[in-house]
Amino acid sequence: MNYGPLLFLGILFTLASSWFGLVVMPNQQLGSLQPNMDTNTGVVFPQPLPGEAAQGRELYRSLGCNYCHTQQVRREGFGSDIARGWGKRGSVARDYIYDRPVFLGSSRTGPDLTNIGERQPSYEWHYSHLYNPQTTSKGSIMPPYAFLFELRRVGPDGPSTNAVKLGGEFAPEPGWEVHPKPEAKQLVEYLRSLRSSVALPEAPLPKLE
Amino acid sequence: MGIISFILIGSSLAFPAVALYALWWAGREGQLRHHDKAALLPFDQEEPLGQMTDVVLNRSSFPKQTLTNKA
Amino acid sequence: MAALSPWDSNLGQSNRAQLAEIDASCRGSVLLFFLSGMLWLLAGTVLALLASYKLHAPGFLGDAAWLTFGRIRTAHLNAVIYGFSAEVAVGVILWLMCRLCRVPLMAQSLINSAAVLWNIGLVIGIVGILAGDTTGVEYLELPKYCTPILFLSFALIAVWTIVIFRFRREKHLYVSQWYILAAVLWFPWLYSTAQLLLVMDPARGAVQAAVNWWYGHNVLGLWFTPVGLASIYYFLPKVIGRPIHSYYLSVLGFWTLALFYNWNGFHHLVGGPFPAWMITISIVASVMMIIPVVATAINHHFTMIGHFGKLKYSPTLRFIVFGAMSYTVSSLQGVLSAVRWFSETAHFTHHTVAHAHWGMYAFFTMTMFGSMYYILPRITQREWPSERLISLHFWCTAVGIILYVAPLSWGGWLQGKAMLDAQIPFLEVVKVTLPYLKLRTVTGVILAVGHVAFFANICWLLVRTFGPYRQPEPMILAGVQPQTAPVGK
Repeated sequence: MNYGPLLFLGILFTLASSWFGLVVMPNQQLGSLQPNMDTNTGVVFPQPLPGEAAQGRELYRSLGCNYCHTQQVRREGFGSDIARGWGKRGSVARDYIYDRPVFLGSSRTGPDLTNIGERQPSYEWHYSHLYNPQTTSKGSIMPPYAFLFELRRVGPDGPSTNAVKLGGEFAPEPGWEVHPKPEAKQLVEYLRSLRSSVALPEAPLPKLE
Repeated sequence: MGIISFILIGSSLAFPAVALYALWWAGREGQLRHHDKAALLPFDQEEPLGQMTDVVLNRSSFPKQTLTNKA
Repeated sequence: MAALSPWDSNLGQSNRAQLAEIDASCRGSVLLFFLSGMLWLLAGTVLALLASYKLHAPGFLGDAAWLTFGRIRTAHLNAVIYGFSAEVAVGVILWLMCRLCRVPLMAQSLINSAAVLWNIGLVIGIVGILAGDTTGVEYLELPKYCTPILFLSFALIAVWTIVIFRFRREKHLYVSQWYILAAVLWFPWLYSTAQLLLVMDPARGAVQAAVNWWYGHNVLGLWFTPVGLASIYYFLPKVIGRPIHSYYLSVLGFWTLALFYNWNGFHHLVGGPFPAWMITISIVASVMMIIPVVATAINHHFTMIGHFGKLKYSPTLRFIVFGAMSYTVSSLQGVLSAVRWFSETAHFTHHTVAHAHWGMYAFFTMTMFGSMYYILPRITQREWPSERLISLHFWCTAVGIILYVAPLSWGGWLQGKAMLDAQIPFLEVVKVTLPYLKLRTVTGVILAVGHVAFFANICWLLVRTFGPYRQPEPMILAGVQPQTAPVGK
């Protein structure tokens, strides 16, 4: 009963089957999607991220934000994603063509971020929230990212307009103020760039009632 | 329907065909006979069928006769 | 090796000297993999405790980027998957292959350099993750400057396995060998494809997610699962002294697993931005997994029937039986999770985390613990020094992991139900999960105690220089005593 050759063939063919089915075929179907230009408005979507947001995306990767936040909206009728305002339409493959790597995510320990740029457009909210999530979302289990900020002495001209406004228990010692480092700025630019408000032919926006 | 689709469809027919041929070949060669004899492979003269190995815990209560080495 | 002749191809002809030589030849290499694997387990446990604690005390150790949850969690995963699990798996593969092929461990320098390379690559990689160089791809986070080292190391392991297989003295193949051969051939294919299409030259957009889950599911299903099953198929009959209930059923189990498991990956993408055929084909394949799982479960159960009393005496049997039962439970949970209506709720929740630990811990890790309990005394020719530490290890890990996965599966389901109701604010959903997250930290401590007990026992076993433990006549080591045995012909 030396069926070694048969065994080897079986081992190779079984994996080859799904390699074709789940790697080659999806690459055939989705691997060369192009951005769409709306013929009425001339808007091209999606677009590559501008420089600062692209740097922020690298931080998002390096800090592992994608382990608690998804970036995919499930279609109407499957889950409550749209009802929660996480997106205006379900996500489609074309939304991700410029993403390296893709941050679909697998866990919603925190909310989905596909549309966070529309839901929270304010720099102030993002800075405050990143510095310590408790400032804006009491009871959140998101870790603070205070290491993206630095303490500076208040200058002779009084408090800087760039400083993060923090009240109560979160405020720094008198005479000091909290400034975002460039990294914090980049991360916030990235988060603000996340929007799902542009329609695609395969994913129209629902009509307003 | 480019060349790649042709390759994909062609290979998805060719692979199962080769697999089926290999199975037929193996059957003809007698490789599939007496399969269940292999179930005895973990055992040998030293650690034979019917004898428990790895008695580590609660040894004092283990039935004595099964522990002694045959010989 | 000339001393080993005469060998013949009849079943069951190894005598005492031959077994002793095989076991002794495995000593250095298997110990190298086991010990470095155990160190990764301890490191991974510390990282796990930190990550788990941070999830309900977010401010804890939050002042430095390298200690943030996203990095600690990732370092934990890679330390236990590629450190502990993979290295102990290779150690078990080495011993099983030598025993079943009935040859002493050949090409030791080849396999030892693989172990050293693997550890070097992994240290670089985990430090890289903590420093922020993660690739951001789940299960493939190790930075690209360390993965070629890992790939080279694994290539050596695969070559070694094939060499052993080629020079085997026992021409018949046992089911454990099929699983091992499949695992060592499948893994390099999976790993190289994933590295190429995700890290080295990323595919376009959503295709990456597809390749990611083809890899992510298969690294568990086609690498760890076969090694775990190979162990169960060997140690269960071996310990109780009775052949596997139905060898034909094990054939069915192997080939249906090979056919269906590798198509499962896209059930991680249910609801995602993909054409329906991709998701559906994986759901169908996931449901088909009932066939190999039930076939394996029936086979193991009918082998054990009438022998459960032996659990009292054998630590190996305890861990292996626990692992085999967990394989059935976690696989059926996996089938359920793949179905759309269940996924709608459970996807994106801690239910998935619990499921991963059913599979990787309650099944795979427990099975590996059991295998190590059998292999270590035989390769070192020493008995386990402490029965108490064995019991402590077993009960801490068995109780700990049940208290981890069962409540967290339920907590994840509640979390999913709350999330489905758009009227419940998100922070209220978070509140639902908190008791389960806290319980997880407690169970993490229990598991950690078990790990330390096991590690202490291994160290004790290795450093002690005095003779056999307690009993006057050799018992478990009967098969490996170097004296000549009466060979009945």
